[in-house]
Amino acid sequence: MPGERLTRILAGLAADDRGRTARGLCEVATDVLAVSGAGVMLMAGDEARGSVCNTNAVSAAIEELQYVLGEGPCVDAYQQDRAVLEPDLADPRTPRWLAFTPKALEAGARAVFGFPLRVGAVRLGALNVYQDRSGPLSDEQHADALVMAEVVAHWLLDVQAEARPGALAEELELGAEFYFVVQNAAGVVSVQLGVTVTEAMIALRAHAFSTDRPLRDVARDVVERKLRFG
Amino acid sequence: MARETALVRSLVELADTLVSDFDVIELLTGLANRCVSLLGVSAAGVMLASPDNDLRLAASSSEAMRVLELFELQAQEGPCLDAFRTGEPVEHQNLQAGVGPWPRFASGALEAGFRSAFALPLRLRDRTVGALNLFNAGQTPMTDEDLVVARAFADLAAISVVQHWSTIENQLLNEQLMRALDSRVLIEQAKGVIFERAGIGMAEAFDRLRSYARSHNLRLTKVAQDAIDGSLDPAAWGP
Repeated sequence: MPGERLTRILAGLAADDRGRTARGLCEVATDVLAVSGAGVMLMAGDEARGSVCNTNAVSAAIEELQYVLGEGPCVDAYQQDRAVLEPDLADPRTPRWLAFTPKALEAGARAVFGFPLRVGAVRLGALNVYQDRSGPLSDEQHADALVMAEVVAHWLLDVQAEARPGALAEELELGAEFYFVVQNAAGVVSVQLGVTVTEAMIALRAHAFSTDRPLRDVARDVVERKLRFG
Repeated sequence: MARETALVRSLVELADTLVSDFDVIELLTGLANRCVSLLGVSAAGVMLASPDNDLRLAASSSEAMRVLELFELQAQEGPCLDAFRTGEPVEHQNLQAGVGPWPRFASGALEAGFRSAFALPLRLRDRTVGALNLFNAGQTPMTDEDLVVARAFADLAAISVVQHWSTIENQLLNEQLMRALDSRVLIEQAKGVIFERAGIGMAEAFDRLRSYARSHNLRLTKVAQDAIDGSLDPAAWGP
């Protein structure tokens, strides 16, 4: 009964005002689903735009990997508009996400699940759930995740409806991770190399890939003037 | 029996189109056509309320109907307008030129070949979102059964319209969110550009970007874009 699930989720959001912050939203998802962690990824035009919230370092890494690599359960869930389930990353039934999988395992995830966020025809991104051990979600967890994804999608539109024109919702400004440091670094590197910011972004990604470092760490070094390009 | 089957099929088909991305005008036109084929009326049309609560023509089963409905809107009198304003059905009415509740409308309708009219509000709970017009060349009122069918069509139209509006609203919100994010990305990139060109900190770079935009009365995103393109006056990041 979706009504009962919804009631449980809404009660979780009401407790301690967790529905007021992006982080609270992901905490409720983790509690309600009884999983190791959850994250919410915002997407547009087949591109990851940022992480609305995540509950720990592992779910943060899962989101960031997808932002950097452009592949993973959330990206697929959004693009294919369906739940994407990988109960065993270490021994996947269908090998996919060649770049994402080893890094996600390294970060501590063993099973990952993506659920599209949508309100009617509007698609916003994906709810990302992970487990630190392999195994499928139960039918209950799966059904809860679908309702949770719906709640998250409405939450996003509701907070944005309150935002000043042209501005991001306060909850997102405060709680979400849009990897702006990477954008800062792209601006810096574009000047250093005398190229466009798009080309600078490619240079940053290439550097992160070849040195096997997180893109965000490379970007931070650039804006702290510890790393120069060109 | 055949009619009931056709009716059920119509309702299922119309409800199906509601599922996701649907074209509301196409749906309402289909609905108007089904009113004609299933209710034995000569013509059907749907009017919808605009955001400022004026009725606008949305769908018609025929060109004659379209012209007459436009006339009704122009004359600001007629069954559709009454149904919309009161939120109640407008009973079957035989039309006589120049007399009755809508003298001007009646003349126009008779000229177009219609001799009786009937209208239902499109209502969802307390909200009236438009009206369904049914016109007949004859003067026989619809049966009670016909009325039930007409009511079902009107309800379905109301649901589809409300859903359509909320979809548009949600799309707008999502676009606003993405546009706000795009603006922020531009500004963050521009900060990086000025940071490097002027050899200053990120916070300082933002302050100079913002004060340049303010003192030159330019949008921040425009200044940011110029900084990224390299077309911004270096005075922008001067101390």
